[in-house]
Amino acid sequence: MGSSNKKKKEKKKDFNKAKLKVGKAKAKAANFTDTSFKSKSIVVNQHTLAALDGVDLVGLFKQHLNQAINSKSDKLRQEALVQLTKDLSSKPIFNPVGVPNLLTKLLPLITDSVANVRTNFLKLLRALPPSDVAPHVEKILMYIRGGMTHLSTEIRSDTLSVLDWLIDVCPDETVSCPGGWLKTLNSFSSMLGWNPSVASTLSVKGWTSATKTSLNKVSKKNGEAQAKQITILAKFLEAGFRPETPLPYDEQRYWDSIYRMPTTPNPFAYLNLWGAQRDQDGEMYPDRISRQQVFERKWRAAIKTGVMGAKQEGGVIGRAASVLDKVLRTTEEGAKKVVEEQEKVEEVEEVEA
Amino acid sequence: MPKRKVAALEKVDADLVSLQYKIRRDPKSYAQEFYDQWLAYDAQRQIFISSPSSASSEDNKKFHDLVDLVAHVADLYPDVTAPYFDHLKELLTQHHAVLNPDLREKVVGSLSLLRRKDVIDSTSLLTTLFPILISTPSKSLRSLLYTKIISDLRESNSKATNHKLNRTIQTVLHNLVTSDRTSTKGMWACRITRELWRRQIWTDARPCDVMKEACLSDNEKVVVGGVRFFLGGDKEREEMEDDSSDEEIDIKKVKHQGTINKKTKKRQRATEKAMEKIKKQERKKHAPHPLNFSALHLIHDPQGFAEQLFQKHLQNTKCKFSLDNKLLVLQLVTRLVGLHKLTIISLYPWFTKYLTPKQPSVTSFLASLAQATHNHVPPDAIEPLVIKIANEFVSEASAAEVASAGINSIREVALRQPLCMSETLLQDLVMYQKSKDKGVVMAAKGLQSLYREVYPELLQKKFRGKEATMGLKSGEVKRLKFGEEQVESGIEGIELLEKYKEEQRLKKLAEKGEDADGDAKMNDDDDDEDGFNSDEWEVASNDSDSSTGWINVEHSDDEDEGPAAKKQRRDSSAAPDLISDEAMATAAEANRISKLAMTTILTPADLAKLAELRREAQLDKMTGNVSKRRQELIAKHIEDGVTADDIELPAQIGKKSTKEERVAMAKDGKPGREEHKSTQAIRKSKKEAEGKSSTNKEKARKKNFLMTVGKARAKHKRSLVDTKKRLTAHIARSKSGGRRRNGM
Repeated sequence: MGSSNKKKKEKKKDFNKAKLKVGKAKAKAANFTDTSFKSKSIVVNQHTLAALDGVDLVGLFKQHLNQAINSKSDKLRQEALVQLTKDLSSKPIFNPVGVPNLLTKLLPLITDSVANVRTNFLKLLRALPPSDVAPHVEKILMYIRGGMTHLSTEIRSDTLSVLDWLIDVCPDETVSCPGGWLKTLNSFSSMLGWNPSVASTLSVKGWTSATKTSLNKVSKKNGEAQAKQITILAKFLEAGFRPETPLPYDEQRYWDSIYRMPTTPNPFAYLNLWGAQRDQDGEMYPDRISRQQVFERKWRAAIKTGVMGAKQEGGVIGRAASVLDKVLRTTEEGAKKVVEEQEKVEEVEEVEA
Repeated sequence: MPKRKVAALEKVDADLVSLQYKIRRDPKSYAQEFYDQWLAYDAQRQIFISSPSSASSEDNKKFHDLVDLVAHVADLYPDVTAPYFDHLKELLTQHHAVLNPDLREKVVGSLSLLRRKDVIDSTSLLTTLFPILISTPSKSLRSLLYTKIISDLRESNSKATNHKLNRTIQTVLHNLVTSDRTSTKGMWACRITRELWRRQIWTDARPCDVMKEACLSDNEKVVVGGVRFFLGGDKEREEMEDDSSDEEIDIKKVKHQGTINKKTKKRQRATEKAMEKIKKQERKKHAPHPLNFSALHLIHDPQGFAEQLFQKHLQNTKCKFSLDNKLLVLQLVTRLVGLHKLTIISLYPWFTKYLTPKQPSVTSFLASLAQATHNHVPPDAIEPLVIKIANEFVSEASAAEVASAGINSIREVALRQPLCMSETLLQDLVMYQKSKDKGVVMAAKGLQSLYREVYPELLQKKFRGKEATMGLKSGEVKRLKFGEEQVESGIEGIELLEKYKEEQRLKKLAEKGEDADGDAKMNDDDDDEDGFNSDEWEVASNDSDSSTGWINVEHSDDEDEGPAAKKQRRDSSAAPDLISDEAMATAAEANRISKLAMTTILTPADLAKLAELRREAQLDKMTGNVSKRRQELIAKHIEDGVTADDIELPAQIGKKSTKEERVAMAKDGKPGREEHKSTQAIRKSKKEAEGKSSTNKEKARKKNFLMTVGKARAKHKRSLVDTKKRLTAHIARSKSGGRRRNGM
């Protein structure tokens, strides 16, 4: 009873005219905002308000570098990257921290969650001089491999763009550095779903051999992504199987290589004197023959079947697959020769033994 | 710019946690996804290993998440994740110093997760964690590893004792202690062993062996750790056992709450849990008590151990341990000597220089000396010490506390080896009961009463007392010579049991209402039923007793005895002549009594009764002129050892305590009361603090006056009939449990 009366009154209240009384303040409106508060501090949204004239440029560069990694706001990161790119592409190149430091700091941005940051990072990489990138290929490849199998498809695709750039800039180092050949192939096959080792862990004995799950669904967008993957894989393989052109004999260089201090960093990397012991995947394959051998042994069959499947799908994927197929075909002949030669050598060795 | 809409699936997929959930739901379908993440993990690991010290926070976080994911699903893909354990192991052993704390914790957590999922076995986990525990400088990591190690050992021993694992770990600990005796690393062996001993996971001789090695280490901390284990480890274990059974659940309350509270799943679960716990406790109560030996008893070669300890840490003048720690070692050595009756002759002369009143914590030294005394210690070794104590501590000029401590310690020594005293010294000490200080008097009287029991001949005649004099005359009080052991022939207290049985039988017969003749007959019958001719048995056993000849041994011993025994010989040679008849009678009785054990098989009930009777008899003997303190002393187990308090205590006897002490004593064990408040108010505030509500009565009392006044007025206006109706209804209602019928 009481409550219903109360409710009735409340309902009516809205339509009653408020009585104004002499000597009493007017009732506050419903949308009234109280502005009588006091505050001890004011929070400003911008980070810097000062004019940038006359600030030391080195400090500014470092500030941008820090912002690019540490800032929580993606806009700020992106802008910092743009600034850094500007500095790096200026003539002469302005880089007070050096390429190694720059790369160690910025490489985690490959898997940044914001797309714009990633594209800007790629732009920054493109601005780097290729000769400075070469010694750090191994490190960059590690990050690329981390990104290639990332959960998010967008990050995967952007990482591939980075790999694309890396193959363009220093193809030989990319395929010959430790872990650069087999591990990258691992990541590729996993990305494309062409991995025989996963299928064996699955041990599904059913009527279908398709292991395509949610991430590899063939939609239009995914199709494009897969086409890109196949194209870059073709490029990667091409770089790996490119026949080495023997250097013309140069007496000076010959003697330098024997008696002079080497000019490249870590010239005896293939001996792996100080690093941890490498397994087959992490081993470096410095020349074409070894790369081809290990490819024949491990990957040709798997990739071939994958290519067949992709070709049948047609469209963008099919076109990309046919490019890859061409690469495979051209190398197949050479590969067979190489394998035969190898076998011959082994036979000879056995006979000698 | 509008935000791009993210498709639901894609959004969810970008999350490792949900991926983990999916993988666990359906590992086969998500194998590809897992493999992707495995590769990502591998790449991230490479990144980390290439520069472990300068890894960015971003990388650390990514790696952290991936390690977590792989650890949680590692059991589902054993082929792919085969090298995972090695990766983690390598990561932790090589880079634990530079790893980010969060990541480090995650790696350790993942390792123990792998163990829980049975991907790896305990041995490999523990052998990974243990070296890091010893070597890492980080305190937080050490505590984490320590808890993980302990919990894993507990886990793997929870169902059945995992002997293999225990042996491995014990060997590791043993090696740790023995490999480098100067380092503090042995502390960890001590800590782990002690903890597992406390939890009764390790109860055999091997952990004791580890601790023994720790005691013989060169490092002071490790030595103290080991020594403390032997001195206090067993007590700790008992306390732990008591604690675990402390928390009682009121089953009635739980059931009642189940009936009146709202029935939710949470409540139901809580009830089930409580019932489970009760059941467990019941089971534990009825389970046979685990027969655990004390650590002191499990030591292998106690003689060698005690000797080594003494030589290394006490006798060695180069040993620079602090006095407290030296005292601890001394306590352990003397405890071992007393408990195992070891002979370390050089120990007693060593004591000499410490037995002066000016020596810091001299009472501990005195207690240790008492502890080190037992009946196999030659009196010649202790006598000079006793004389020294008497000279240094006990004189009219010395302070009362000093004198009482001296006499008391002499008494403790004499209790264990009565032969350490010369007649003149004892008579001198006993005379201190005429002192003014009560503590000294008590101590002197204690000494006197001790000697009345064990060696009354040494006392002056007037101090011997009635019982001792009579005992001497009857030959009951017999002094044991050095090296002589009081051997129990047969079962101790068997005569008490027989007597008791006889009484019971008579009582039964009396109940049956039979006359005395029948009674006698039945007695005879009973004897016959046993099927033995008792007379024959008596004769036979008599013969055997005469041939045992431990009287002969006594005589042969007499020649070797020192001058201390000379006076005694006169007595003992005189006594048999005087009381030969009595002795014969007692011997005959002893033979007759032993019959019970031969004719019947004692049941466990019989044995329990026997123990009870023995205790009663001892108490009977003690009641009368025996002081409470003496009773305590007898009741005290010989294994407990002597502490400094035992020596200091009598000095406190005559003293008045100060007001502060008395107040503190009164306050002890009572709840705190900061301000002056009524008990009610304190209770109420306590209740409020616990978050409990007030009673209905309290609510009624607090109710607004205006709300109650109407009802009060109406009550005045009621008719008599109405009032009666209300009253009866009220009574009926309260009988049936209130309006809610709570009792029903």
